[in-house]
Amino acid sequence: MSTVTKQKRAVAINPTRSCAPIGAMLATYGVHGALTINHGSQGCATYPRHQMARHFREPIEVATTSLTEKTTIYGGRDNLIAAMENVYERYHPTMITVCSTCLSETIGDDITGIVDEFIEGHPDVDIPIITVNTPSYIGTHITGFDNFLKTVAVDFPVKDKPNGKVNIMPGWVNPGDIREIEAMTRKMGIEGIFLTDYSDTLDGGIYRPKPQFPKGGTTIEELRDSANSLATIALQKHVGGEAAEIYEKQYGIPAYTLPMPIGIENTDKFIKTLSKVTGREISEELRDERARLLDAIIDAHMFLTSLKVAIFGDPDVVEGLVRLAAEIGLEPKFALTSSDFKPWGEDMMKLSDELGLDMEIMMKSDLHELYKKIKEEPVDLIFGTSKGRFIEEDLDIPLIRMGFPIEDRFGYHRRAIVGYRGGIYLVDKITNAVLAKKGLVVSNTLLEKPVEGAD
Amino acid sequence: MLLKCDKTIPERKKHIVIKGENGCGGDSSGCEIACNVPTTPGDMTERGCTYAGCRGVVGGPVKDVIQMTHGPIGCAYYSWGYRPHLADSDFHMKYIFVSDIDESNIIFGGEKKLLQSIIEASKEFPEAKGVFVYNTCPTALIGDDGKYIAKAAQEKIGKPVVFFPCEGFRGVSQSQGHHVGNMTIFDTLVGSVEPEEDYAYSINIVGDYNIKNDEKTFEHLFEDMGVNIITRFTGNVSIDDLKIMHKAQLNVVHCQRSATYIADMMREKYNTPSINVTLWGISNMSNALRDVAKFFGLEKEAERIINTETAKIKPKIEYYKKRLEGKTVFIYQGAPRAWHWPDLMRELGMEVVVAATTFGHEDDYDKIFKKVKKGTLVIDNPNAMELEEIIETYKPDLFISGNKEKYLAYKLGTSFVNGHTYETGPYAGYSGMVNFARDIDRAINTPVWEMLREKAWPVKNNSNPEVV
Ligand code: SF4
Ligand code: SF4
Repeated sequence: MSTVTKQKRAVAINPTRSCAPIGAMLATYGVHGALTINHGSQGCATYPRHQMARHFREPIEVATTSLTEKTTIYGGRDNLIAAMENVYERYHPTMITVCSTCLSETIGDDITGIVDEFIEGHPDVDIPIITVNTPSYIGTHITGFDNFLKTVAVDFPVKDKPNGKVNIMPGWVNPGDIREIEAMTRKMGIEGIFLTDYSDTLDGGIYRPKPQFPKGGTTIEELRDSANSLATIALQKHVGGEAAEIYEKQYGIPAYTLPMPIGIENTDKFIKTLSKVTGREISEELRDERARLLDAIIDAHMFLTSLKVAIFGDPDVVEGLVRLAAEIGLEPKFALTSSDFKPWGEDMMKLSDELGLDMEIMMKSDLHELYKKIKEEPVDLIFGTSKGRFIEEDLDIPLIRMGFPIEDRFGYHRRAIVGYRGGIYLVDKITNAVLAKKGLVVSNTLLEKPVEGAD
Repeated sequence: MLLKCDKTIPERKKHIVIKGENGCGGDSSGCEIACNVPTTPGDMTERGCTYAGCRGVVGGPVKDVIQMTHGPIGCAYYSWGYRPHLADSDFHMKYIFVSDIDESNIIFGGEKKLLQSIIEASKEFPEAKGVFVYNTCPTALIGDDGKYIAKAAQEKIGKPVVFFPCEGFRGVSQSQGHHVGNMTIFDTLVGSVEPEEDYAYSINIVGDYNIKNDEKTFEHLFEDMGVNIITRFTGNVSIDDLKIMHKAQLNVVHCQRSATYIADMMREKYNTPSINVTLWGISNMSNALRDVAKFFGLEKEAERIINTETAKIKPKIEYYKKRLEGKTVFIYQGAPRAWHWPDLMRELGMEVVVAATTFGHEDDYDKIFKKVKKGTLVIDNPNAMELEEIIETYKPDLFISGNKEKYLAYKLGTSFVNGHTYETGPYAGYSGMVNFARDIDRAINTPVWEMLREKAWPVKNNSNPEVV
């Protein structure tokens, strides 16, 4: 039987979450030619830019209203108006996202009011300017992304002729994941509208001359047209789930909130849903991929079965990974997320019951807590972000890197962990970590050190 | 001078000057540039906040204290382990602590939670020798009295708890945070104990943060010469060392933007003299040793060391110089490196054509104008668009800046070296100079640029209308 626990300490030591504006910035990157203005002091923009640059290795542009002491006393209106003028006139973006910070929220700026005032005073401005509330003392980095999607769902869609497409919200994933989801959709002969698609904008090539805005991204027309799709599939409950509901309520498009398509069963769910809403057959190509994933799991099972694993990260990622871990024979012992989402705890308990797991589901917890638990009850593997590196080093347990951020290794943002092919990649990665760590590998077999029973 | 991209923000004109034009003399007389003022709203500035300057630069390297952020999670999370201010232990790199302010704290105040956080953290890590508490924007706005809480906590845990009023919005850049960091450490720690030992021939290295172990390249040289380093402010430093800083006979000041403050305060209170040095580059490093030697009457020792060390690296530097001769450089750093490095570039046969700083003050720019040659573009707090226009117009062979600018440079096909956290490092001292030269050589002479020039495919059917 699993249990849900919450950390008792007030102090957070090595947390796995950051703040909301970065989520809005990331989502905005998925709209072609869109820019974010962060309404706050400079740190709140520069820090997330730096964080994203470390993960994606791409230029990250975010404007700031550069609030200082004076402006915090008199309010940030003038700065925000000036910032919108500056960004609009110099960049001519396709859209502007204005997101707030703890600072602008605490001083109580009426951001929507200021944006309206700006638009009234600038009849020439013909682009959408949306506001996303992202005080980070509420929720986490994923809340910013989720709020962005809700705003888009309310502001953009325009009812018109049916387009035969499917709205897909991949959630907070990597460019590689979005590409994989896109590829699966294409293999079924389906066209998706991605909310949003930062696969190329945050994993772009070199083009001469450099385009002003990175190539790729969902277009504003697509955002408008999203009212006319067959269905909306949210692949992360906590990033997009509610936005999908808005589509259902406001535009009459059925919403499907699925687990993140990690591993066999979760990917099956996605593929079957695609098939159901479009009436298309599951393609041969995808069947082959699925068969290859099963083949990989069989090839690996003697190395993996019954190894213990600790998993940490964003709620939906952790949920997906727990199922994958169980599918490949691992025993999830700890599943940690830093958010305080009650429904997540309940979902995890259900999942655990279904899979017959015995794990500690740690909510609103941090990595120092996880470290202490693992120290007492060792595991063989850890799945999580680079932030778990200190546990990997101190306890000498392989950390298989996934999620955001990965800042101490190369190229992870390009890789997919979703879909059947993402599953194969994970099985390979996990198995290799085990083989590298455990001992002698000869003739496709493993001799563990120290030798068991030989004493 | 006004760049093309700045047509709609003419106030940027005052921040961009070409040496030798419009009243800025070729001898650097009359060169004036607007700096250390608020950023134009809406600019994509590289500037950080006061908190970043205090927590990230000055306080963060202190290796044996609990680094506690009083505020919401984000400010703390982003300052976790991204600056390689290394030490001989890694507690300060590995762990961050945050009072994790939530909505109810914003409404009812966060003081209680801070106190509890400090007590809990020091229970978890009893080996820590103290707690540094950094304030953020929201906790400052709601009026939490962090100083009072720090005092109460200090009594409870029996260790120093130092509160830094470094809320992000206080200044126009991270520079204000350096100042707050200096003042707070000076007021609360320096001189708080009076050891009895003999501190003859002793110095502090002030304003070096041991980025990628920079200090390892030069400390042994000073020690060889016969001087003893008491305190490093603040790279690889223990809180105990900060307390006895006032015992040194001389402050050797490296970063003259972020740490001159403490040297000045020590001169005033303890009569500690100070000298300014540059510890990057061959001639600069030699001059630093000479200046310190002169103070202590150790000139002969200094010359001996300088001779051996320069002889050691000479062949390597000559090798790189041949490969780099005639290349042009755009240096964009926080502030001082923009004037520390032009000499060093010349030692490698290269010339600075553009110099920029994120948070330089007048004295930094005075030094820049003196160091660069006529025709050099000098720009204060450049925004992303300006950087792009400058790189496209001046086409420098090398751009030296930080992580955020790196990928812009790459997209523009420009060689780049990270001057903030170094590509490899260390870059200081004599041996670091060889690392620096090697990294510059790698950046400039790697085959990919050739491929880009000759073998890149033209973009076809590009859905992006901006691409021609
Ligand atoms: S103030 Fe809030 S929004 Fe800004 S960095 Fe800190 S946590 Fe994030
Ligand atoms: S809230 Fe203030 S202290 Fe925190 S990152 Fe933003 S500007 Fe800096």
